[in-house]
Amino acid sequence: MNRSNSRSLVAGTLALITIGIMIISIGGYFAPVRDFFSRPISAVQAWIALRVSAIRDTLTAPRDIASLQAEVSRLQSEVARLEQEIITLREQAAEAEILASLLNYARSQPESRSIATNVIGRDPSPFIRSIWIDRGSDSNLSQGMPVVTERGLVGRIAEVFPTASRVQLITDPEAAVNVTLQLARTDGVLKAEFNGELSVDLIDQNAEITIGELVLTSGLGNNYPADIPVGQIINVRRRDYELFQQAGVQASVDFDSLHIVLVITNFQPIPIELTAP
Amino acid sequence: MAYVIGIPLLTLLAILQSVLMGYFELLDGRADLVLVAVVSWSLTRRSEEAMVLGVIGGFALDLLSGLPFGSSALILLIVTFLVSFLEGRFWEAHLLMPLGVMLVASLTYHMLSTFMIMILAQDISFAYVFRRIILPSTFLNVVIALPASQLASALHYRLFPQEVEL
Repeated sequence: MNRSNSRSLVAGTLALITIGIMIISIGGYFAPVRDFFSRPISAVQAWIALRVSAIRDTLTAPRDIASLQAEVSRLQSEVARLEQEIITLREQAAEAEILASLLNYARSQPESRSIATNVIGRDPSPFIRSIWIDRGSDSNLSQGMPVVTERGLVGRIAEVFPTASRVQLITDPEAAVNVTLQLARTDGVLKAEFNGELSVDLIDQNAEITIGELVLTSGLGNNYPADIPVGQIINVRRRDYELFQQAGVQASVDFDSLHIVLVITNFQPIPIELTAP
Repeated sequence: MAYVIGIPLLTLLAILQSVLMGYFELLDGRADLVLVAVVSWSLTRRSEEAMVLGVIGGFALDLLSGLPFGSSALILLIVTFLVSFLEGRFWEAHLLMPLGVMLVASLTYHMLSTFMIMILAQDISFAYVFRRIILPSTFLNVVIALPASQLASALHYRLFPQEVEL
C-alpha cells in the first residue's frame, strides 16, 4: 500500500469515527463519556484560571495600594448592591403607579438563593459566546439556571458536567430573553447580533420608549426570573410600516471582565419541547 | 511515544486556549493554539500521526466548546489531511514555508468553522465574520506559526533522533 492510500485510509477511518461520535453525541448518548473527561479537564482549567487570575491581578494592580484597592473593591460592591436596590425599588414604584392595585403585592417574589462560582474559561471558539464556571451537577446546578452578577443578567446554564458548567451568555446569537422596558411598560424579546450587540425586538409600535430607560427581564416564558436588570436603551428604531419597534441595548454587565458570577439555584425554568403535530 | 506526548500537550493547549486566549484578542479573533500545534506537528512528523492528534486535539476543544461535539475534531482532521499532501515535499526548502501553510490551514479551519455555524442555522454575516474573526485569527496564527514550527522541529529532533546508517 503506497503512502497516499495509507494516508487516505487513516483519514477516512478517522472521519468515520469522528462523524459516528458526533451523531452519538447529538443523540445525547455521549454525555457519560463527556462527563468522564470533563472532570479532570475542568479541574486543570480551574487550577490554571486561578493562577492566570493571580498573575493578571499582580500585573495590573500597583502593589503599594493593595489595601486601597481592596477598599475600592468593597465600596464598588456596595455601590452595585445599592444600585440594584434602587432599580428594584424604582421598578416596584412604577408597577404600583400604573397598575394601582394590590396585584403587584400579591405577586410572589421569592428570595433568590444563589451560589457564587468562579469563571474558569471561555468558549475556545470565537463563534460561541459562553463561559465556563467551576461548579456543576456535584453542586446541584442544572441546565437552565439563570446566571447573574450584582450588575445584572449574564445568561443561563446551557450544559452541566460534574464539576463545571457552560453558561450561554445573553450576547450569544442563539440566546433570547423576554424583557420588559421599565418606563414604557411594554414587553419585547432581547436578542444578540453576531458581534455581541444587544437589541430588543417585538416592541409594540405604540410604546413610547425613552433613551436610557432600563431593560429588565419580564419573567414571561419562565426562562428567567422577573426584574433582573439587563441593560439600558441606547437607541430606538421605529418605522411606520413595520409591525414592531426595535431598540438597541447597552448591557449592564461587562462580559469581558466576568470573574465571579452568581447562579440562581431556586429558579426552575419550564423546559419547552417542540412536539410533533 | 508521539501520542504519549501529543495527547496531554494538545489537551493542555485546548485548556490554555479556553483560559488565556480571551485576554489576547485581536478584534474578535484569537490564536488557535491547537490548530497551530497540529499543523506544526504535521509538517514535522508523519501525516497519519498528525491526523490522529488533530482529531484528539479537536475532541479536547469540543469538550470546552458549545459547538456540536466532534465538529472541531472533524475540521482539524480535514485541515491535517490537506496539510499532509505537503509531507516531505518542500516545507524544509524555505524557513518561511510554515507561514504559508499556516495561512492556508488557518483560513480553511475558520471557513469550515463558519460553515459549521451556518449549518447550525445561526444568522451570521460572512463579511463581518471574515473581517472580525477569520482575518485577525489567521494573522495571529501566522505570527506564532514560525516559533511553533521551530519548537515542533526541535522537539522532533530531540525526542526522535534520526538513525544514522554506518
